[in-house]
Amino acid sequence: MPRGVNLLDDPPTWLLWLTGLAGLAAGMATVPLLLDNQRVEVGPAFATLALLSGWSYIGGGIVAWRQRPSSRIGLLMVAVGFAWAASAASLSSQPTVFIIGVAIGNVSTVLLFQLLLTFPDGRLRTRNERMLAGAAWVSGLVLQLPTLLFQAFPDPDLCVNCPSNPILLVDSPTATELLGLLQAVIAVPAVLGLIVLLIRRWKGASDAQRGTYAPVLWSGGVVLLLVALQLTGLVFGLNDVASGAIVPLILVAFLLVPFAFLAGLLRTHLSREMAVSRLLARLRELSVEGGELRDLLAEALGDPSLELGYWFPPVSGYVDQDGRPLDLVQEESDRYLSVVESKERRIAVLVCDPALARQTQLVDAVGAAAALALENERLEAELRARVAELRASRIRIVEGADAERRRLERDLHDGAQQQLVVSALSLRMARDSLATDPAGAAALLDQAATDLDLATSELRELARGIHPAVLSDRGLGAGLQALADRTPLTVELSEPPAGRFPAGVEAAAYYLVAEALTNVARYAEASRVRIAVIHRDSCLEVTVDDDGVGGADPADGSGLRGLSDRVSALDGQFEVLSPPGEGTTVRAVIPCAS
Amino acid sequence: MPRTVLIVDDHAGFRASARRLLEANGFEVVGEAADGQSGIASARNLKPDLVLLDIQLPDLDGFAVAAEIASSGDSPPAIVLTSTRSAAEFGGLVVESGALGFVPKSELSGRALRDLIA
Repeated sequence: MPRGVNLLDDPPTWLLWLTGLAGLAAGMATVPLLLDNQRVEVGPAFATLALLSGWSYIGGGIVAWRQRPSSRIGLLMVAVGFAWAASAASLSSQPTVFIIGVAIGNVSTVLLFQLLLTFPDGRLRTRNERMLAGAAWVSGLVLQLPTLLFQAFPDPDLCVNCPSNPILLVDSPTATELLGLLQAVIAVPAVLGLIVLLIRRWKGASDAQRGTYAPVLWSGGVVLLLVALQLTGLVFGLNDVASGAIVPLILVAFLLVPFAFLAGLLRTHLSREMAVSRLLARLRELSVEGGELRDLLAEALGDPSLELGYWFPPVSGYVDQDGRPLDLVQEESDRYLSVVESKERRIAVLVCDPALARQTQLVDAVGAAAALALENERLEAELRARVAELRASRIRIVEGADAERRRLERDLHDGAQQQLVVSALSLRMARDSLATDPAGAAALLDQAATDLDLATSELRELARGIHPAVLSDRGLGAGLQALADRTPLTVELSEPPAGRFPAGVEAAAYYLVAEALTNVARYAEASRVRIAVIHRDSCLEVTVDDDGVGGADPADGSGLRGLSDRVSALDGQFEVLSPPGEGTTVRAVIPCAS
Repeated sequence: MPRTVLIVDDHAGFRASARRLLEANGFEVVGEAADGQSGIASARNLKPDLVLLDIQLPDLDGFAVAAEIASSGDSPPAIVLTSTRSAAEFGGLVVESGALGFVPKSELSGRALRDLIA
């Protein structure tokens, strides 16, 4: 991770101090502007209020940043404070400073908007959130700048004794009115949209979460509503009323937000501590089993819909309590997933309500507290999953053997047996006509001999299907060469390893290549097949790949499944890679310790 | 004395062998069929005196074909069932199907047929 990001996520103490001092300096810098400016009569009360506001945001933001490093709320609050201080520039008599102050005058409000939008974790997560934030920035900053190109200062409506506008392009009240209208038209619905979103979030929150949200949402919400009111007032020309009555209210509410936030933070901290210590106490005293662990965790998180998944290494995925695979990338894709690890090993996953995405620290703490119990459950779930798989593969093996026998009987009956019957008939007929028609009898005997040859070759093929003699007699290399010779495809067979391997291993490798070649000939429409067998790390690696149409699925035909069972019965690994249109690769790694 | 025969069997080699044997024994083979459906159709069209019918057919069960042929028309042909398997495997099914009898393929001969027909 780049070092810059680390600095933000884990602020060192010097950075916090530096921010604090900068905030102090920024606040002090605004004092002369506040008290000594030519334009607006600023009483000491107002000045104190304004100064306190800025410092409260910066100070509160620093506290939040330190306490909740994974949340961006702290940084947002600090930004609000600095933006607030910077907007004091609009009180200056110097035209450049003044215009800069006016240009960024709304930024603190926009930042407050974003703060409320992303509370409590400070990050924009959904499309709606990004749209609302975008709207706020467009209205507050992006549209503000062009407005100043057409707004002449001083202005009889806005401020009588402010300095001139150094970036004035053309004095056009129509343009400024239109732009101002546009700003309001975007801002007011954005604020309403935010209110709706906050209400929805409130509805979906647990009691503990509401305790955290309430202070900030109320105070922040009030600020924004008042700002929206002021904007509406400006649009309809109620200037004096707007400024006179609303501004002090806004300021007071604005000042309350950081304190409300700190109150909420404290509450969260306390309730989380309580939830986790309650959980730990329960885990310690009971021996938790079955669904009880899930219930305990659900209670600690305040999420009745919690599901648990346990890590199952053989499939590199998660299974539920009964060992059945858990498909996490499904319709519930907006669920919040938190992986519980211990000593860098994955143990389990907590599948939570999306609202918990904003409370990562609570979820992490609960997961860590329950790690031991989860590991126990995981081992049990893994055991059940393995047993289920063993049972299933045993059944498949027995059924496969039965199917194989049926096929053999049919092949014998339809092939060799018929040939032998026909030979017997020919022989009998030859016997019957020996005396009367010797020539005919001789022809029948020739026929019988041909039929017997056919029967013999049928039997030879069958025997090879039952067990290939070449494999037992001359080893894997010869067996694979025989397979390559018999197939109509173009085969590249690389030099197989010398020496013999355990019979089961050689047989598995042989049948894998045989089955793979059959599949290639039947389905792949390939032009080339490559067979490679490598002896590496006391394992035999067998790979067959073709350049055909791909799309093979082991779950489809029993051929590949049977191979998978055979390979895993030898404790090996079997995989099929077959992206559609890109050929198929069948690979097995079979341990052969001898 | 029945003369005309229809051979119903899915193995071409056996059909050829049986034809030779039957013709050498004075029968006239009027048709061959490789599966149950065409066997039923040929029996109806050619009206042979005798049908030599394999029990193991690719599409239908030989007994079902025998029952079908034995119950069609005014004077249905006599049916002799045959198989590479032994009679013991079939028990009473031979009689129930309306066939005249059963001859294992390896024992097929003119005399075996004449004994059944008589």
